[in-house]
Amino acid sequence: MAALDSDDEILQDFLVEAEEILEGLNEQLVELETKPEDSDLLNSIFRGFHTIKGGAGFLSLDAMVGLCHKCEDLFNLLRQGDKEVDAEMMDTFLKVLDILNSMFDETKSGEFPTPADPTVLNQLSAYLTGDATVTEEPVPEVEAEPEPVAVTTATDSDDITDDEFEALLDQLHGDSAPGIESSKSEEKPVPTATAPEKSDSDDITEEEFEALLDELQGKSPAAKPETVAEPTAKPEPTPAAKPKAKVDATPAVKKSDPAAKPAATAKPAETTVRVDTSRLDDIMNMVGELVLVRNRISTLETALEDEEMAKAVSNLAVVTGDLQTAVMKTRMQPIKKVFGRFPRVVRDLARSLKKDINLELRGEETDLDKNLVEALADPLVHLVRNAVDHGVEMPDIREAAGKPRQGQVILGAAQEGDHILLTISDDGAGMDADILRGKAVEKGMMDEEAASRLTDSESYALIFAPGFSMKAEISDISGRGVGMDVVKTSISKLNGVIDIKSEVGVGTTLSIKVPLTLAIMPTLMVMLGDQIFAFPLVSVNEIFHLDLEKTNIVDGQQTIMVRSKTLPLFYLRKWLASTFNDTDEPRIEHVVIVNVGTQRVGFVVDQLIGQEEVVIKPLGALLQGTKGLAGATITGDGRIALILDFPELMASYAHRGY
Amino acid sequence: MSVRVLIVDDSGFFRRRLSAIISSDPELSVVGTANNGQEALEQVKLLKPDVITMDIEMPLMDGITATRKIMAQNPTPILMLSTWTTEGAKSTLDALDAGAVDYMPKRFEDISNDKTIAQQQLCQRLRNLAKKTTTPTFKNKIIIEPTIQIPSKKTSSHLLSQDLRIVVIGTSTGGPVALQKILTQLPANFPYPILLVQHMPSTFTPSFAERLNTLCSIQIKHAADGDQLNPGTAYLAPGGMQMLLKGSASMPFIEIQASQSTQTYKPSVDITFDSVAKIYPKQTLAIILTGMGSDGKNGCQTLHDLGSSIWAQDEKSSTIYGMPMAIAKAGLADGVFDLNRIGIHLAELT
Repeated sequence: MAALDSDDEILQDFLVEAEEILEGLNEQLVELETKPEDSDLLNSIFRGFHTIKGGAGFLSLDAMVGLCHKCEDLFNLLRQGDKEVDAEMMDTFLKVLDILNSMFDETKSGEFPTPADPTVLNQLSAYLTGDATVTEEPVPEVEAEPEPVAVTTATDSDDITDDEFEALLDQLHGDSAPGIESSKSEEKPVPTATAPEKSDSDDITEEEFEALLDELQGKSPAAKPETVAEPTAKPEPTPAAKPKAKVDATPAVKKSDPAAKPAATAKPAETTVRVDTSRLDDIMNMVGELVLVRNRISTLETALEDEEMAKAVSNLAVVTGDLQTAVMKTRMQPIKKVFGRFPRVVRDLARSLKKDINLELRGEETDLDKNLVEALADPLVHLVRNAVDHGVEMPDIREAAGKPRQGQVILGAAQEGDHILLTISDDGAGMDADILRGKAVEKGMMDEEAASRLTDSESYALIFAPGFSMKAEISDISGRGVGMDVVKTSISKLNGVIDIKSEVGVGTTLSIKVPLTLAIMPTLMVMLGDQIFAFPLVSVNEIFHLDLEKTNIVDGQQTIMVRSKTLPLFYLRKWLASTFNDTDEPRIEHVVIVNVGTQRVGFVVDQLIGQEEVVIKPLGALLQGTKGLAGATITGDGRIALILDFPELMASYAHRGY
Repeated sequence: MSVRVLIVDDSGFFRRRLSAIISSDPELSVVGTANNGQEALEQVKLLKPDVITMDIEMPLMDGITATRKIMAQNPTPILMLSTWTTEGAKSTLDALDAGAVDYMPKRFEDISNDKTIAQQQLCQRLRNLAKKTTTPTFKNKIIIEPTIQIPSKKTSSHLLSQDLRIVVIGTSTGGPVALQKILTQLPANFPYPILLVQHMPSTFTPSFAERLNTLCSIQIKHAADGDQLNPGTAYLAPGGMQMLLKGSASMPFIEIQASQSTQTYKPSVDITFDSVAKIYPKQTLAIILTGMGSDGKNGCQTLHDLGSSIWAQDEKSSTIYGMPMAIAKAGLADGVFDLNRIGIHLAELT
């Protein structure tokens, strides 16, 4: 089949709209399961299919039209109360949605969508005709013939006339079509549907007939445009008006551009412009550069001590800040884009696990950077699946524990200052820290003594360790022990942190904190020797002065006590500074406590410079891939600072023991 | 000055497509768009468009309600864009009932395999509809004084051959409203059978016949092959087919034929009228109502030449003065009447 022009603006326009509708349908269909009689919901689902059908029709995406058409018809019955949704129907709808989504993907990649699985279409037709027991295969008996015809006509409403049906039969015999037409016009059309095949049934084999039935049923979308178009083709081309209609319809001639119309005519929907994300990235980059220049200027200004200059610089700072926020906003998308898929994920999973789970979404409107939205999607899916699979117990067990049979999973998002807090909580069995410790020993990850020293929250963090699985047996959903560490890594890559809270018998809450944007990062600048380093501020926990005599050595590892918690202490300068001199260690040091994963670690630094917003620049080719470095940036005084990536840094250096 | 069009559709995709198609016509300009019926009402008030394209399925307020309200507040010609399905037929007829003038399929393939032609047709319809400043609706209670081109003392019966046996009516755009207006005026004991040929897609005619039947005193039937003619019954030609009168003057029956791809109109007024002329050459009253084009002209010519009577709707009351104009211009009309008058005259035949 001919390929679609995927660059075609009309096609793109359709895809943008269809994508939104499909996302909406995804949620609405799941919602429908709990509110099967909500007429607003039914109406809006109906309109969803209707609108996709309209657009697909415009682009002649017949497979999509056919499928949507049937759904639209069915939802029309549903919204009129002529039919009620049942669980089986729901499954079919969700199947339909999957098919539509894959058709959508095909269209997106420039292919014509492949026709839907005939069994699904048949199932829909069966609902339409009220015969829910229809088998997946057409009945081979000739007597059954009226039924499939009825199925087709019920949806396409008389599109296939007896004559057309007859023609189809004739075609099977290899007769030439024109011959039939002339003969047909003379003979009286046979009034009943059964009659044509009665006369022909002798020379038709069962296979041929089945093939025909398949064609009638399965390909009804493909057959539709033809059959509809024929009876209605070319109504009333007035000869007088025809020359007018032939006026050249190229854009060059058009007198009136809708965009040039007075402002009063502009509608909200038409004021949006599609912008390539790469262009937004460019703008973001340039704003980043501007931020750097601003930092540089404000550093220079402090040396000048000129009041006018100070005013101008502070103005510049305000404007740059606003610009930065504005550009960031253009890249913002509601987290709904990711959350939207969860009702379906949870529903399907709960169904297959035979659990009863209600998913609650909170803060769907929270906006965050588009890149973040995309980057968070997979980790979140994994965590939600985990909550459903591992967290929430089977209904019977829940009941026995005195909990409601239906489990709760809450997915929340909220903006907290310059970061986003995502929470996934369940009211399931919770995690038992002792079991986790035992598992860690069993897996040889640490000895018993080390394990017993783990705090509860450190034990929970074990689930992020590679190869660590909590599930006794592996299901196809989760429990393979891959994934959680991947989740951890992806979140860390976003400069995010994960925190777990759990209580046995009450439930588990996972919190993910990620910065609002990936491009600009607040950092803490420190000095190691004569070099500047930037700590992502999101990981910085606290800063204090430390008398080095108050440290202890545990297991050959220097540690400090912070509010009666023992934290490992590392000398960052030993790792990173080239000018390190072992002899002149001062007695008092600056220590920065940093969150690395769920662990807290103390780093000794030489000097603290202060907080600065920086724009992350990738490292040059020579430094690319250096462990522990997330990138570089230019500081206010024009120097280069390296930005540290703590999880990686720990992984590459911590085993050295100092 | 170009015709100012308002587009009402809840799909942004469709609004943009329609805008592009309509703006490509130098005589049309899109002055605004609305996402739903509610917005449409405001836009109509604000922009006073010459013609509106209206979607049916929309959130907040559907196209039918919006049409009804627009026709009550700021009467404007409305072209419904609907789906040509059985369900679509019902809502489209509802929309016509609410005051919409005409309808087109949302799926342009339904009109023509050539999209360009379909798009040109859309523009042409809009231009034609915009020419009508007011449109007759069912709700229109004002009886416009008839434009009678014959001496007013003559009653309708003088226009007819003494031996009337059948009434045939052919119409297109605006026809559903016009037919409803005429047929509802006829008493149940109307003494003649009526054949109705309305240009309409096959999915629409069954619903249309059913609707007329519930509204009228006379019987309205979706014509089927082999139907015998009964007085006081109107037979609506099925869409996509051709309706012919066969048999003899004493035993006439209806034959429904598949239409040929060469035939422009399915059903065609000419084909039905020609077949009627063979059975009742002198005993027919043929009426041509509103519609674009000139279907029915040849059939009326045949009937006229054989001695049957021809009536045509007048320009003022026609939604589109095309088919009736062809009759009037060819000098075939024995009477040219206002729509209301046609019903009254027909009822007088009882």
